[in-house]
Amino acid sequence: MNLEIPFAVLPLALVAVIFQFMPLLTRRGIFFSATVDPEFPQSADGRRLLRSYRLQAALWTVLALALAMPLATTRPQFGARLPALLLVAGIGFSYWLKFREIHEHYGLRRPEVRETSLVPAEENEGIRLWLVIPPFIAIATVAFYLNAHWSQIPDQFPVHWGVNGQPNRWANRDLAGVYGPLLMATMLNLLFLVFGWVLLRMSRKSIMRYVTIRMLEVLLYPVTFTFVVVSLLPVMRIPLWLALSVLFAFIAGIFFWAYRKITAPSAPDEGPEPQSDSYWKAGVFYYNPNDPAIFVSKRVGIGYTMNFANKMSWVVLVGILLIALLPVLLVRK
Amino acid sequence: MCVQYTVSNGLTLRIDLDSDVPAYRQIVDGLRILLVNGKLAPGSELPSVRRIAVDLGVHFNTVAEAYRTLADEGWLELRHGRGATVVERDAPAASAEKVTEFRRRLQALVAEMQSQGASAARLSTELRTAANELEL
Repeated sequence: MNLEIPFAVLPLALVAVIFQFMPLLTRRGIFFSATVDPEFPQSADGRRLLRSYRLQAALWTVLALALAMPLATTRPQFGARLPALLLVAGIGFSYWLKFREIHEHYGLRRPEVRETSLVPAEENEGIRLWLVIPPFIAIATVAFYLNAHWSQIPDQFPVHWGVNGQPNRWANRDLAGVYGPLLMATMLNLLFLVFGWVLLRMSRKSIMRYVTIRMLEVLLYPVTFTFVVVSLLPVMRIPLWLALSVLFAFIAGIFFWAYRKITAPSAPDEGPEPQSDSYWKAGVFYYNPNDPAIFVSKRVGIGYTMNFANKMSWVVLVGILLIALLPVLLVRK
Repeated sequence: MCVQYTVSNGLTLRIDLDSDVPAYRQIVDGLRILLVNGKLAPGSELPSVRRIAVDLGVHFNTVAEAYRTLADEGWLELRHGRGATVVERDAPAASAEKVTEFRRRLQALVAEMQSQGASAARLSTELRTAANELEL
């Protein structure tokens, strides 16, 4: 069976579904990233704007799919990249138009009242060492194990698999090939910890921050598990389906916990961070030169975005990119 | 103008960035109220300059300057790179210049409120209440 078309179309369809629901993945008082009356999304105008956006998003999806299907067979080198780019840019443009319209005609300006607790930081705010050290111990243990079983490692072995389960990248029995996955796991884990540390220091306290820090701590485990399994495959028979099942169950568990925590009735109703819409470029990019915070809660979805007016944000961004790219560069060398 | 200081439900400092009163002044005034009424007792540790600045969305220098002002008044001892500690402070005798300055500011405030329609009796009650609330 020719799998090129389903593999090109399915990710696009998934992204399109997410975009359909994106305007609803937000907090009360925010609609299409604009500050509005909490009841506005349910009003006739609010429903009309949502319908209009969804129709436009559906049209962009049809266009992207129409481009993806012939490209998948005739120009496989483009893969789904070009249609995906069209989809994101098109729906992004529609989203921006709605943000502008809502901000201009229905937007509210909330008072810029800020608050801080004068009580010293609570102990449960920080990164817990007892939780984040075991993954590093596991990586070191596997590295010693591979070193001890060096002669059992084949000269060439698979390190990457396609969506169809077939290996599509191979490595040689050398330092980069054998220890590369473990180095990748170490760097990714460090990346999560650095991100958590900066988040603790340079963002405002909120339930979102608490949940994000806890998620980052626990995400070290599936990351370590994935790369440890990959690095052990040359010397051990590990059923991929079992490894993938454990991985997905773990990640699903983390996100389920985060969702429950944020939406729990006992969770504090903090509302959006008190920033004027004027600081949100296109409703998505936060740009406030007066705000020393590097990370601020996103207006759409769960998580954080950066304050692009802060020079330190760019330093952190470049640092994070370097940490993420370093193992790739080292392994390819 | 809208300056609010929350002192209930724990120790919280709140400022209004839309206010005509500069953020620096709001921070100094807010902290001084907590210091005068004893909510911030000697030995209490205040968060770092960075923590307060990030939470309030103001420049680090604004908070550092506010801490320095209160340190100059004898309320705080600054800890480099960390924060500040509230220290024991002998109430100084108000100098003649300070009293004159206070009278001038009070007169301006009273005139402003009277122009808004507040009666002298009402202002007198308000002043007495405020003084009683802050009295150690």
